[in-house]
Amino acid sequence: MDMSTVEHAMLTPSATSAPASGTKVTARACNVYYGEKHALKDVSVDIPERSITAFIGPSGCGKSTFLRCINRMNDTIASCRVTGKIEIDGQDIYDPALDVVQLRARVGMVFQKPNPFPKSIYENVAYGPRIHGIAKSKSDLDEVVISSLEKAGLLKEVKDRLNDSGTGLSGGQQQRLCIARAIAVSPEVILMDEPCSALDPIATAKVEELMDELKANYTIIIVTHSMQQAARVSQRTAFFHLGNLVEVGDTRQIFTNPKEQRTQDYITGRFG
Amino acid sequence: MNPHTVKTYDEELHLLDKKIAQMGGLAEHNLGQAFDALQKRDPRLADLVIVADHTIDVLEKEVEELVIQIIARRQPMANDLRQIMAAMRIANDLERVGDLAKNIAKRAGAIADEPHPKPVISGLGHMVEMALKQLKLALDAYAERDAERALKVWQDDQQIDAMYNSLFRELLTYMMENPRNIGISTHLLFGAKNLERVGDHTTNIAETVYYLVTGKPIGEERPKSDTTSQMLVQQGDR
Ligand SMILES: Nc1ncnc2c1ncn2[C@@H]1O[C@H](COP(=O)(O)OP(=O)(O)OP(=O)(O)O)[C@@H](O)[C@H]1O
Ligand SMILES: [Mg+2]
Repeated sequence: MDMSTVEHAMLTPSATSAPASGTKVTARACNVYYGEKHALKDVSVDIPERSITAFIGPSGCGKSTFLRCINRMNDTIASCRVTGKIEIDGQDIYDPALDVVQLRARVGMVFQKPNPFPKSIYENVAYGPRIHGIAKSKSDLDEVVISSLEKAGLLKEVKDRLNDSGTGLSGGQQQRLCIARAIAVSPEVILMDEPCSALDPIATAKVEELMDELKANYTIIIVTHSMQQAARVSQRTAFFHLGNLVEVGDTRQIFTNPKEQRTQDYITGRFG
Repeated sequence: MNPHTVKTYDEELHLLDKKIAQMGGLAEHNLGQAFDALQKRDPRLADLVIVADHTIDVLEKEVEELVIQIIARRQPMANDLRQIMAAMRIANDLERVGDLAKNIAKRAGAIADEPHPKPVISGLGHMVEMALKQLKLALDAYAERDAERALKVWQDDQQIDAMYNSLFRELLTYMMENPRNIGISTHLLFGAKNLERVGDHTTNIAETVYYLVTGKPIGEERPKSDTTSQMLVQQGDR
């Protein structure tokens, strides 16, 4: 057993331990392989509900890989193999009987590059509720679209041009449109993979403010390369390195007094 | 500790440490010299202390400016953050120690021509010695990031308090013996009080160092035994 496994065993719940109360997502001994490549190593962690958890770590450490485990996006990668257990509200999401489409409605995702469909602003948001049969009538659907745009903090800017193309919006607006699209299906968990990396500071602040409001009702996990962003928005922070979960803890503690040398070196800019 | 990827960041942090070390050296020197001026009744020496204190003030401003720059430009995290907050607080405490030394020097000038009560002066001498020893230990603890030593300094402050209590009592007695003694005694009493305050700033430094190194506050309430705030002139003291 090397040192990293020892630390790891001390810092994260053991593979068999029960999740803490108020836990939304539980991972136990999660491993991911891309062919021969062991990209995620034995990760066990509890993600608390209705709060923001930040994943940080150097490029290639497995943040996106782990994030994609939580809504089974890795299923779409042919070479990818996932072992271990991931539960949402105690339900095994890798259970063969589970409907993956349903799962992705419960676990929404926002990507690094805003990726609106080449359709109207309205259609971008209406698409999800329509295919998941969430809205029963046209007026129901209108309501879902409007309230999602409102929650995403975009309504004021687009209410007079709902039929314009979503791709005609600015980058920051597009990103909030994607967030509106994600919340339109009333997910329980929202995964965000570097959602602000293409945005200016003002658009970034708007997304952060939005996340802060959303955390009252949603469980949010954000991958970010900005230490300051992780420190600003999250309540918990998890640090990954070389496929290992090195340390997870209260954001306040991680950024003022991390336990692990590797965490400290990374967040203070002393890496490699 | 590993160096930062950005080298100028390390240079700035080193500069901060260097300025603190400089301030600490000056504060120690001035405190020692202020007492020398008092003991030797040398107003010229006292003036030197008063002038030299200005350098400490300037250094404190420089530390503050550097800290603000680092926060604004580098957004320090974790141990870096603790380190620059520590530097700022320690600079504050050292500036105050400098002021207290200056105050002792001023009093030395004021009482240069008076007859000195020998036992009180020698008691003050011991107090200065102890205060300097503590300050040096605290500064060493900072330079070496030594939490153990900081804790020791923190605990030993009680000894300075005890010395202050006994000097307080002695000076009261001296004043009662002869009203003519009241003037000089008051100056010496303030001098002793200044040294007791130096001890408190030293304790602050120790607390700061402890937090810097461990990331935790130093723990339960500090043992404090300055009891003079409850002391009265008793009949029996006469
Ligand atoms: N589809 C894939 N096929 C093969 N290897 C992959 C694939 N996706 C990721 N990997 C590898 O898995 C490891 C983890 O990648 P991942 O994308 O999870 O990193 P990351 O932490 O999100 O990095 P970044 O911060 O650069 O986005 C990397 O070594 C990467 O090369
Ligand atoms: Mg990624």
